[in-house]
Amino acid sequence: MSARYGMVIDLDRCTGCGACMMACAAENNVPALPKATNRTGLTPMLVRKVSNGRNGVAQREVFIPILCMHCEQHTPCVSVCPQQAVEVDRATGIVMQMPQRCLGCRYCMTACPYHARYFNWWDPAWPAGTEKSLNPGVAVRMRGVVEKCNMCHARLHAAQEKAAAAGKREIDPADYVPACVEACPTGAIRFGNLADPNDPVTQESHSPEAFRFLARLGTEPKVYYKSKEAWVRALAEAASSTEVQHG
Amino acid sequence: MKFTRRDLLAWSAGAAAGLIVTPIPWKLLDDTSIWSQNWPWIPQPPRGPVETKRSFCTLCPKGCALRVRMAAGWPVGISGAPDNPATRGALCPLAYGAHQLNWHPARLKAVRHRGNTSSWFEASTAFAKASTEGPVVIIDGFPGRSTSQLFQDFASKRAAQYRVVLSPEIRSLRAYEAWAGVPATALGYDLENVRTIVSFGARMLDGWGSPGRFSHLWAEQASGKTDPQLRLIQIEPQLSRTASRAWKWISIRPETDSALAAGIARVLLEQRLVRATGPMPRLSLTEASSLTGLGPDAIHDLAQVLVAEKPTLAIADGDNPAVAALNFVLGSIGTPGGIIQTTKSAMPYLPAESNIDAARAVLIDSSVPWDFDVQTEAEVFRFAAWDGGSSKADWLLPAPGFLEELTDIPSAPGSSVQTYSLTAALTRPAFEVHTAAQFLQNVEPQIGKPEEIIHQRCAQIFKARTGSIYAADVAAVSNCSSPQKLEEAMWAGAIWMNEPLYNSRLLRSLREWPTEAGSATPQNSENTWSPGILPPLSSKLYCESNLCESSERRNA
Repeated sequence: MSARYGMVIDLDRCTGCGACMMACAAENNVPALPKATNRTGLTPMLVRKVSNGRNGVAQREVFIPILCMHCEQHTPCVSVCPQQAVEVDRATGIVMQMPQRCLGCRYCMTACPYHARYFNWWDPAWPAGTEKSLNPGVAVRMRGVVEKCNMCHARLHAAQEKAAAAGKREIDPADYVPACVEACPTGAIRFGNLADPNDPVTQESHSPEAFRFLARLGTEPKVYYKSKEAWVRALAEAASSTEVQHG
Repeated sequence: MKFTRRDLLAWSAGAAAGLIVTPIPWKLLDDTSIWSQNWPWIPQPPRGPVETKRSFCTLCPKGCALRVRMAAGWPVGISGAPDNPATRGALCPLAYGAHQLNWHPARLKAVRHRGNTSSWFEASTAFAKASTEGPVVIIDGFPGRSTSQLFQDFASKRAAQYRVVLSPEIRSLRAYEAWAGVPATALGYDLENVRTIVSFGARMLDGWGSPGRFSHLWAEQASGKTDPQLRLIQIEPQLSRTASRAWKWISIRPETDSALAAGIARVLLEQRLVRATGPMPRLSLTEASSLTGLGPDAIHDLAQVLVAEKPTLAIADGDNPAVAALNFVLGSIGTPGGIIQTTKSAMPYLPAESNIDAARAVLIDSSVPWDFDVQTEAEVFRFAAWDGGSSKADWLLPAPGFLEELTDIPSAPGSSVQTYSLTAALTRPAFEVHTAAQFLQNVEPQIGKPEEIIHQRCAQIFKARTGSIYAADVAAVSNCSSPQKLEEAMWAGAIWMNEPLYNSRLLRSLREWPTEAGSATPQNSENTWSPGILPPLSSKLYCESNLCESSERRNA
């Protein structure tokens, strides 16, 4: 049975600590290049602070983890890639990026409505010796390719290998948890199979408090957000991050 | 046979069609792409057997439980240990990149004497000479370890002084020390049973206490609820991350926490909203209102909220006697959901002040935060794994880095129960490092070794037969067959956790409202506990998101 992996991020639980960003970067061997800026750095998981735009004690802030939304339909990055370096994995629903095929044209970055794709402007580099602390499950990407969240695909491979070694065809859901989900200290990020109606994540995605960013585009993103606050839910249809006031 | 123009066109068309059909150009393009992506200068991760080991973080005194993924003997990934009841699988963001810290460019690799490279022999000789010429002060940032015990042993044998840099959580408990006659390190906050928390600037969701402890409680009992089971009221001038997630955020003028605590206490006592009858603050409600910028009605309403859902606990950011006295008025000392005693065996510590007079030498352990800088004429021997920048240290001595040291982990500051765990060195440093305890052993060989003290402590836990051992399964200490078995389990990553000690007679009386005002944060010490060096990933990510206020510490 094919899966549709997705997430529900409870924004009322997110404290903006950034553990998800750190865990993601460490898991995926993201280099900490001193010359990278907020426009040129790699942040497959990026926590944004957004204010309600009011002053004084009426001011409120919410922290929104932004990652690839893994669009199911008319996936914009897939549509524009001239190299077939992006594809939606029909077995998992994960939007996969293959750096070996990527030419670095950055059409996909332009097409992505969520600005969740990043370009490797430089060769990856770490202080001498740090290569010993890199994750052996994830290949280091090179200069000139685009990358993004792949829901920690290396962990999925490891879970599949474990299941195969045990003679099973299906993985144990407990064996496949992306790094950001594992790291969240408040359990704000939940991960599951949206194709399974009994999965708690599927049920949460149907809650009236759940929403998806830019759902009107019809791309069926598989990352849902959730909040009891009306002003937070109203952010869902902001066309881009520039339409909301950052704190 | 004549090769005509028509033949040339036909051959060209055939070649073009063939090129399209054949996979050769595409294969060459693919190979070129792969070849160009595997330059020899691109770093490659280590290859070798992968295993997961359990350990504890030693970057700060909270000692969070870790699962460390090792490849070819090197730590390549950090995650929390969900079966640890103290941290419940949560870690602070820094921990996720901590395994890269050992390769940080600022790592201290050799002994430095006033900016010049020196040797361990010279450092040891200089310290031995200084210790014979005058008094020595040893400063510890992580009290309660076996290493701390060795520091105290050295101090008693050599007439030296042992002082401690207290964490913000312990500093906020210092006011109770005098009233209850119990050291601040023997006290804790019973957050698990509290219904209302009023935080006077303590960043409850941003680094206060063990990351997993309060964040889990808040997420389960408070987040997103209009009438939560756990009410977090944050009193702070600015909208912090904690304030933005709190049930209520109350903005007051900076440094008027004491005035607000006094104003609330006055309302509680005058309106008999609490059982206590005193002590009455000298400050009137009007005065408290004008100082804090909150109206008298707002203070009155806040007092009503505090007693609506009890137990209520007031937590200060640092040593604030007025906030501590508010807990006395609320009846939150020595009761479940309040300030409770965690152990009966803790010793009081002399806090380290930045100003140290009349010492010949000062030895600073690597556990002391880099922000702590002594003002002294004495010769300063500072142990550190990383050089955090300018510091008044004559000698910089390389200490073990992350996961490079065998040590024990006592209770986290502010914990409501006594805990104990052990961590082995998982990796070896690539250059010569020593702990401060090893350094002192060279000068005074009779002070023993940390391993011996760890054996003794495990034996004491076994003998007392209280509490439980938490690993994959929970086992009562009384079910352990021998102290060796208990110690084995702890070396494998288990944690010993004692039962809570609820003692309603902890505080006998408080006759006068404390006169000290404001938060007495030690000079030269920041409110948050931070290592001298941040993992490069954290400084990068915080600056690339908009979570970071400034870029000063970027790639620190």
